[in-house]
Amino acid sequence: MANIELKNVTKSFGKKKALNDISLQVHDKEFFVLFGPAGAGKTTILKTIAGIELPEKGLVKFDGEIVNLVEPAQRNVSMVFENYALYPHITAYDNIASPMRSPLYKKDEDYIKDRVMKVAALMKIDHLMDRLPARMSNGQRQRVALGRCLVREPKVFLMDEPLAHLDAKLRHFMRAELKEMQANFNTTTIYVTHDYMEALSLGDRIAVINNGQIEQLGTGDEMYYTPVNEFVARLFGEPEINIIDAEFVLDGGNKGVRLLNQIKSFDIPEDVYDALVATGKTQFHIGLRAIDLSYSFERQTEHDIHGQVYSIEPIGNKAVLNVDVNDSILRTVSPPDLNAEMDSDIFVSINMKNAMFFDAESHELVVRHNQAQYTKAVK
Amino acid sequence: MAKLILKNVFKRYDDRKKGKGGKVADNFAVNDLTITCSDGEFVGILGPSGCGKTTTLRMVAGLEEITAGEIYIDDTLINHLHPKDRGIGLAFEDYALYPPLTVYDNIAFNLRAKKMSEADIKKEVMRIAPLMKVEELLDMKPAALSGGQKQRVNITRALVRRPKLLLLDEPLSHLDGKMRQILRTELKRLHKEVGCTTIIVTHDQLEAMSLADKICIMKDGLLQQFGTPYEVYDDPVNVFVAGFIGEPPMNLNKVTITEEDNILYFSFPESSVKIAVPPKYTKVLKTGMHVTLGIRPNDLLIADDGSPVKIAVFENLGDEKRIGIRIGEEYLTLITSDETLYKQGDVIRLKVREDKTHIFDIETGDKIRA
Amino acid sequence: MFSENQSLLSRLIQNLLLIIYSIFALFPLFWMALITFKSDLQMFNTTFFFTPTLENYKAVLIGTDYIKTFIDNVIVSGGAVLVSVLAGVPAAYALARFNFKYKEDLAFTILSFKFAPEILVILPLFMIYQKLHLYDTYLGLIWVYQLITMPLLIWVVRGYFEDISVEVEQAAELDGYPWYSVFWKILLPLIKPGLVASALLAFIFAWNSFTFSLQLSGFNIQTVTVASLRYIASDTVHYGQMAVAATIAALPEVILALLIQKHLVRGLSFGAVKG
Repeated sequence: MANIELKNVTKSFGKKKALNDISLQVHDKEFFVLFGPAGAGKTTILKTIAGIELPEKGLVKFDGEIVNLVEPAQRNVSMVFENYALYPHITAYDNIASPMRSPLYKKDEDYIKDRVMKVAALMKIDHLMDRLPARMSNGQRQRVALGRCLVREPKVFLMDEPLAHLDAKLRHFMRAELKEMQANFNTTTIYVTHDYMEALSLGDRIAVINNGQIEQLGTGDEMYYTPVNEFVARLFGEPEINIIDAEFVLDGGNKGVRLLNQIKSFDIPEDVYDALVATGKTQFHIGLRAIDLSYSFERQTEHDIHGQVYSIEPIGNKAVLNVDVNDSILRTVSPPDLNAEMDSDIFVSINMKNAMFFDAESHELVVRHNQAQYTKAVK
Repeated sequence: MAKLILKNVFKRYDDRKKGKGGKVADNFAVNDLTITCSDGEFVGILGPSGCGKTTTLRMVAGLEEITAGEIYIDDTLINHLHPKDRGIGLAFEDYALYPPLTVYDNIAFNLRAKKMSEADIKKEVMRIAPLMKVEELLDMKPAALSGGQKQRVNITRALVRRPKLLLLDEPLSHLDGKMRQILRTELKRLHKEVGCTTIIVTHDQLEAMSLADKICIMKDGLLQQFGTPYEVYDDPVNVFVAGFIGEPPMNLNKVTITEEDNILYFSFPESSVKIAVPPKYTKVLKTGMHVTLGIRPNDLLIADDGSPVKIAVFENLGDEKRIGIRIGEEYLTLITSDETLYKQGDVIRLKVREDKTHIFDIETGDKIRA
Repeated sequence: MFSENQSLLSRLIQNLLLIIYSIFALFPLFWMALITFKSDLQMFNTTFFFTPTLENYKAVLIGTDYIKTFIDNVIVSGGAVLVSVLAGVPAAYALARFNFKYKEDLAFTILSFKFAPEILVILPLFMIYQKLHLYDTYLGLIWVYQLITMPLLIWVVRGYFEDISVEVEQAAELDGYPWYSVFWKILLPLIKPGLVASALLAFIFAWNSFTFSLQLSGFNIQTVTVASLRYIASDTVHYGQMAVAATIAALPEVILALLIQKHLVRGLSFGAVKG
């Protein structure tokens, strides 16, 4: 149970700056997710909190106290490593029992047995207790590693991509299990992942990390509905969000945005219009999620965008339909058994309610409809 | 551009156990496989690791001996043909690009071995390169390429020989999410443009579903089902296929058939939750039977006239919401685009899409048809 | 089936070849052991059939101070390996885990000691040893033997350390173990195969060493290798006695090698457990 804070932390490995002036605060008992692409610095943040890495600049605080010079063992944290880091020469039981046999956290064997078997039952690995790590599957090892982390009650749980090396089916189940367990965790948890579904599902708050810096920090809704820039917008959602040029049109009484090769521009809501006018610019980028695009094989209105079918990729209960418009690809969804000829004509229409507008140069979010509803995006 | 037929193909590895003096192992890596791939088709061989898919591909390529059965390419029996005489293009998992050669030279390598003139080679390379979008890479060396680029070059190299068959072994497995998506789209388009009969081996059902015209699903050397993506998705022939295809996986739960007021129900053990049996199954089901009920997460609906259940897990994933429900020992997942933000512990009413229920025999796993 | 018959024949040939090679390899040892029981008189006029005698053993073991020599060998070889382990394991750890300037140059330098023929450095060493009063001392020999025992040990153990992902140590740290417990409880069990194998191999190399002990020790300390020279007298060679000296000298390493055969191959193939 602890409040963890990083203040202006900078960490370099040789010439490379892994963390660049990072500041964040994790509240007591919060499930905090560090999300971003590979190499962004998420694991480094975790290791800095654990004390395994030392920052060149900045402070690490537990409950307000500076712990920069406190040894990892003394910080009272538990960690699941991405590659599990199980002790190869001892059984699953001994691996999970290990934290409670150390000089610092020593407990008697009866207590240990009780706790280990409880955690093993939770992880559904009670039948594997006598096995060595080499004789277990990836999924089993992952659960032993998680068990070793959860068996104590430290100040904070640190989890580094615990589901990364599992096949899709197992990942689906383990994520749901984790979520169920989450409700009973009485401990601050910091969780690293590059899978946006894990981030949205498990995190109370999410910090998007890129190149050693925080792009955005907030709730899942804030990330999804009001991403602070195009980079964050692209990270959430499957298929990936469409980001294309949009021209803000003011001619005559026609207030709207024109996209690609439209005959007639789209109308936009008042609040969006006001915000766009205020910038004084006319060229923007518009972000449109696949589910906000609809298609038809005949032109329905003058708003429709005319393109050609580029490809159809069925993915189970739906298909990703890629439409080629003047060499830009628009992604939308369709039923999985859609039969359309490649390069045949197709018309795309857009629901502007959820459209996001980004500055064409800085790529930052300018406005979206009803922005206040999703609370202001905080950096 | 050719037809591929596998007829009763078997593969067994000789496994000499020490001290037993030459006893051969009994298990077949590939067990009585028969499939037909039409001219120009994109076929995916899909299954978990160890199911025999790579072994099958290697037998088609000529890298493994065929223990029994026949393989035909366009009515020619190829069992004893040397790989280079089979007219196939291989792009295998480990890229194996020659490091000291440029991309152009890598692609041209095979053609030079055939003593083609440099002018002809250039023509062929420039014909294929734009299709895989590798023209900018032609002067670079493999070490300077990213994983995705290497893979594209690999496939270009296989295609430049105008093979009758293109064989791809897990071509996207070493690439990260975004690159995979991009290359998947490119591969699909490439196939449509080049029209070459292609066989892809993968353990990723998403890859097979999005790329293949037909999917051959294998497990432990045996063919499970051979059909279009939609067929294997919508009408899986057994529990294995049902649980393997689709993300999130199909809900497969043990239920008992009970009767109340002359109506049959799927009843979940250790709970009062029951779902009405669709009329089409009334002839094949009897009270007291135990079956496995299969329903896809998006075929479970929240409806006012459904059975009440308690939410165990609620996931807000932006594009969709996922709800996990515990019924006794069983766990079900449901996907909805309903905007309501539920919480753990809330009660919702559950209904199933009648025409999308699947029943499987609890022992054999085979589908029970209406 | 045809294929099975084929393998049966090839297996027969394989076994035959192996038997022939075994005879070729083991015969000298067998012969040497045999002649320890032959008197000088019967040395040249008999082959396998003779009257065995223990006079050679008596002459060597009781007549000379061979036993002391044997013990000297144990002290020097064993001591050298002990020092190598105590200094080499931490060195291997440092090379595996830390990054410092000229690290690989240093590692290669250490390995290069094994490449250099001992005879190259023997003369300067002799002079230095005289000056430092290390000539003919246990310390002197143990120290110079490091050139033989340490490189292999460091090289093999370094590989083992590199195979243990650093996260395993970090996990132990976070579990609450101090650094020495991490070493003793986690690292040591994992490097044991490599450590044991290379230590034993180092022992065998040290045991067999000739040049260093020839030049750098005199009357006080004589290793068995040097001692064997004694049996080449000015007028005749007492083959029987020399054979005794050689056989007894060879015994420890043969026994050791037989005992740790399995571990030797496994341990030297850098096959440390993957976390």
